[in-house]
Amino acid sequence: MTVLERLTQMFPDAEHGTALDGKAFVYVSPEKLPAACRRVREELGFARFVDLTCADYPELEERFDVHVLLYSMTEHLWLRIKTRTAGTLPTLTGLFAAADWYERELWDLFGIAFEGHPDLQRILTPDDWAFHPLRRDEPLGSMPVDFTVTRELYDT
Amino acid sequence: MSPYSNAPAKSVAATVSPTLKINMGPQHPATHGVLRLELELDRETVIRCRPVIGYLHTGIEKTCESKTYVQALTLTDRLDYLNPLGNNLAFCLAVEALFQCEIPERAQIGRVLLAELTRIQSHLVCVGSGGMDLGVTSLFLYALSEREKILDLFESLTGQRMMTSFIRPGGLATDLPEEWLERTYALLESMPAQLDDIESMATHNPFFKQRTQGIGIVSAHDLMELAVTGPLLRAAGVAHDLRVTNPYSGYERFDVKVCTETAGDCYSRYKVRVAEMRHSIDLCKQAIERMPKGPVKTSDRKIMPPPKEELAQSMESLIHHFKLWTEGMKPPKGEAYVGVESPRGELGFYIVSDGSGKPQRVRERAPSFAAVQAMSKMMEGASVADAVAIIASVDPIMGEVDR
Amino acid sequence: MARTSPPQLEVISNPLVGHDHTKDGSPAFLLTRLEDWGRSNSVWPVMMGLACCAIEMMATSASSFDVARFGSELFRASPRQADLMIVSGRVSHKMVPVVLEIYEQMPNPKWVIAMGDCASCGGVFNNYAIVQGIDRVVPVDVYIPGCPPRPEALLDGIIKLQERIRKVHG
Repeated sequence: MTVLERLTQMFPDAEHGTALDGKAFVYVSPEKLPAACRRVREELGFARFVDLTCADYPELEERFDVHVLLYSMTEHLWLRIKTRTAGTLPTLTGLFAAADWYERELWDLFGIAFEGHPDLQRILTPDDWAFHPLRRDEPLGSMPVDFTVTRELYDT
Repeated sequence: MSPYSNAPAKSVAATVSPTLKINMGPQHPATHGVLRLELELDRETVIRCRPVIGYLHTGIEKTCESKTYVQALTLTDRLDYLNPLGNNLAFCLAVEALFQCEIPERAQIGRVLLAELTRIQSHLVCVGSGGMDLGVTSLFLYALSEREKILDLFESLTGQRMMTSFIRPGGLATDLPEEWLERTYALLESMPAQLDDIESMATHNPFFKQRTQGIGIVSAHDLMELAVTGPLLRAAGVAHDLRVTNPYSGYERFDVKVCTETAGDCYSRYKVRVAEMRHSIDLCKQAIERMPKGPVKTSDRKIMPPPKEELAQSMESLIHHFKLWTEGMKPPKGEAYVGVESPRGELGFYIVSDGSGKPQRVRERAPSFAAVQAMSKMMEGASVADAVAIIASVDPIMGEVDR
Repeated sequence: MARTSPPQLEVISNPLVGHDHTKDGSPAFLLTRLEDWGRSNSVWPVMMGLACCAIEMMATSASSFDVARFGSELFRASPRQADLMIVSGRVSHKMVPVVLEIYEQMPNPKWVIAMGDCASCGGVFNNYAIVQGIDRVVPVDVYIPGCPPRPEALLDGIIKLQERIRKVHG
């Protein structure tokens, strides 16, 4: 039985399919994300956390297409558990210790708040920044180039 | 009480506060980039360690969204700057997964050859600079001069020493000349003897062993929990290597051996890396021996531009050429993640395409990111001097940690 | 937080105060020239690697390119013992205060080399995260182009800096 068939059995009324890279995915609702990860981990054996990331579609109301990428050490396959959210998700740190920094990164770059995260702070950008740079509606940002010494810029 | 008694100096212990917080980095004597560690010490022993990252945050993922796929490829070199060709490979495989296109065999074997050469030079820097951190400066000099020979090969093939961008979606940038393959083979023949030299300075060096054996031990279970892959996981006894378990780009044709150790300390990580270098030399030799004749670019004109000769004769080729260089390739709508085994572990690119010439989202799953996160676990109970050895053994590349 | 600008370069240890040390052949003149010559041939860089260029900086200090030929092989881990800062790689906004702090800890006289495109002008990364040129933060003496520059280019930059140091007193 393929992974997709087993996923279908496990989450019968969820949206699922296979992405272009051949990895099965299933959509769950945000509040069920930790429970779904736990079930996939314990019942299907996808125990290794690989990645937690998202794609942003600012035109949608539930703009963040978040997914957890898991890997099975016995079957050597990847699997995605996806969810759509407008900005808050329950934390996965209780389930995967590795999710800690990945959730901080999503908070930092996209502004997705993880409820119950032990230390949800910015991780990559400076602590005093107020925006979330990787959102699609944030500009790329730029700065003029001039080959002059302008110490005053950072002196104040 | 006699002033010469051996009784412990209780009064001193009572006045000294039980823990001390010190800051290490972002500029520090260990030559591993702008990593900052906040260490909490009980005298010399590290109780807690909190890595602070982001000092090299470059916004590459965001920048990729405003570039075409080929332009974005050049930025991937600068993520993990010791493994530029491996990053190219992972990015190209992800783009090719979106297109579902086939790559000619010569290009696939060529990619294996280039990726393995990159692995050797990356491990050489890791072993060399790790040696320097521990005071074996000659190890650094020997390892780097060996690496120069590989960089010379890259330069003669691609024109650049480090940021080559040679692996392109759809194949390779140019063909691999026979003369270059011969030179590479000659270098690979001489390399094991040089590695013996390098090993003679570290592997059996009692001081090196004392500084690394039993230091920074983390169990395989903890490493798995913290999503750590690569030499760190293999040094703890887990025989996991994506080249074997999920072969990509022609690795299924090679007999890849997984190099493992069991102790899980800094010394076994070093040993795994040296064993991998030796094995990579074999793989490179096999790749050159098996290199088939044929094209190195896919014939799909939607991905790779047509050869120059065709442009003068075929209108269709001209249109393809024009479209490719003005708008870029346009993968179908969808998402793809491809993981490859970089010198530091599972490196993956996750690309979301919206059907236009520019990606909707590019994400790098960086092996060093997870490894730096796990560093706090490794540091617990180590002494301050060992912190440097642990950083060196993790071999974090801040370019890909911070992206 | 106001930071004081570094004091102007001056010969502090000149024992022949009162002598015209701009005049050729005078002992004071020869002494300042000797001092500049000595300084130029022992430029000690601070060990600060930022990104890709740091790997080329390491390659420059290794045996194939051997920066020791020009007296700059002693990469000091403490900025207090260094007089050259090689900004090797892209500088993010988070890194700027750190670079400035390192620069201000270095004793005078001190010099800065912006190694590579990113440190010189931002290179390929003109975005929210990267400072477009380290000259916005610290005064730069020599810019080295390249992404990353070859080790020979760094050597050339160091030689250019040496020429500059030798000309401090004409």
